[in-house]
Amino acid sequence: MHISEGILTAPVLISGAALTVAGTAVGLKKLDYDRIPQVAILSAGFFVASLVHVPVGPSSVHLVLNGLVGIFLGWAAFPAILVGLLLQAILFQYGGFTSLGVNTLNMALPAIVCYLLFNKGVKSSNIFISSIASFLCGSGAVFLSSIMVALSLYFTGDQFITVAKLVVAANFIVMIIEGIVALFCVRFLKKVKPDILEVVYEN
Amino acid sequence: MKTDIKKLCTAFLTIFILFCCVSPVYAHKVYLFAWTEGDTIYTESYFSGDRKVQDGTVKVFNMEGKELLNGKTNDKGEFSFKIPEIADLKIVLESSMGHGAEYLFKKSEFSAGQAPAAQKVSISDEQEKASVQIASDNNQLRKEIDAALDEKLKPVIRELAKLREDKKPGVTEIIGGIGYILGIMGIIAYMKSKKTG
Repeated sequence: MHISEGILTAPVLISGAALTVAGTAVGLKKLDYDRIPQVAILSAGFFVASLVHVPVGPSSVHLVLNGLVGIFLGWAAFPAILVGLLLQAILFQYGGFTSLGVNTLNMALPAIVCYLLFNKGVKSSNIFISSIASFLCGSGAVFLSSIMVALSLYFTGDQFITVAKLVVAANFIVMIIEGIVALFCVRFLKKVKPDILEVVYEN
Repeated sequence: MKTDIKKLCTAFLTIFILFCCVSPVYAHKVYLFAWTEGDTIYTESYFSGDRKVQDGTVKVFNMEGKELLNGKTNDKGEFSFKIPEIADLKIVLESSMGHGAEYLFKKSEFSAGQAPAAQKVSISDEQEKASVQIASDNNQLRKEIDAALDEKLKPVIRELAKLREDKKPGVTEIIGGIGYILGIMGIIAYMKSKKTG
């Protein structure tokens, strides 16, 4: 999911970086004092998740957890993912500095889209609806990220459909795993600390 | 509210530390390494966890950024080519889904007897007639020694190349990263508290 350095053309890199700056600004503006630790925790979770490696086919995929970040953070997903990716680039050499903007956009935008689509469902008091919405949020974010990666490569000259198929197929198992992870996280927090979800959605 | 957040922090941190301990540390990175043998440069590409990069595009550039040649890796992630020129070479791998890797092949990595495939035979042309025989004998001997040495040293060179490229994230990096995140959190919290206070 991380696009390496030197793959994309300058226009793609620059527009990715610009949109990431905008998204991060919005995220930071909407972030209030009480939620800073929560953002840090999810950022740390995102940072570590990419080390959990799922061997599929000829490629190498890993957990992303951007859906989960989206559920709990909403717009604050942007700064959280940016920090996570920056540290992954520095410490693990995943992705790269020049592609940091595009990579952040590719993972944070789907997180926010899924948050906007499913937050009402996740919040629902009906366990069935809430579970389905959490699952879709977790897996949908990975799906959208795959599409975003394919799009970024498409603007650089690759064939969109071919790459998209490849990325989505490679990440299929990850989608299912992340859907389940998101489902259990939401179920768990609803039982243990129901107000944490409420806090997020008040904003 | 604050104690709740505290509890939550501890719970999540515990989970993450467990995560680090239990899951084997895999990098999600593509590696490319190269070594020479005779007049050929061999490259091998793999994802972390020794998964080979199949059908990845390998491009070879010189230092001016001119593409000298390209090709595809086979099922074992290997690609080999004749030495295009004795100079620093940049070998670039582009695999699927935006993964890529680079390997800088230094001029010093070529051994003395190696020459670009096309120019190899012309060495003895300008030498005196009498010494031609000896020179070519010497040349032959040198080639044979080179070949034998290459064969013997192949595993060592490969391992060295691999070592140079292999930087898997360890526990230090992971804990360090989490530490950074907590640090950034601290800074932001401090700044926000100053504003509100």
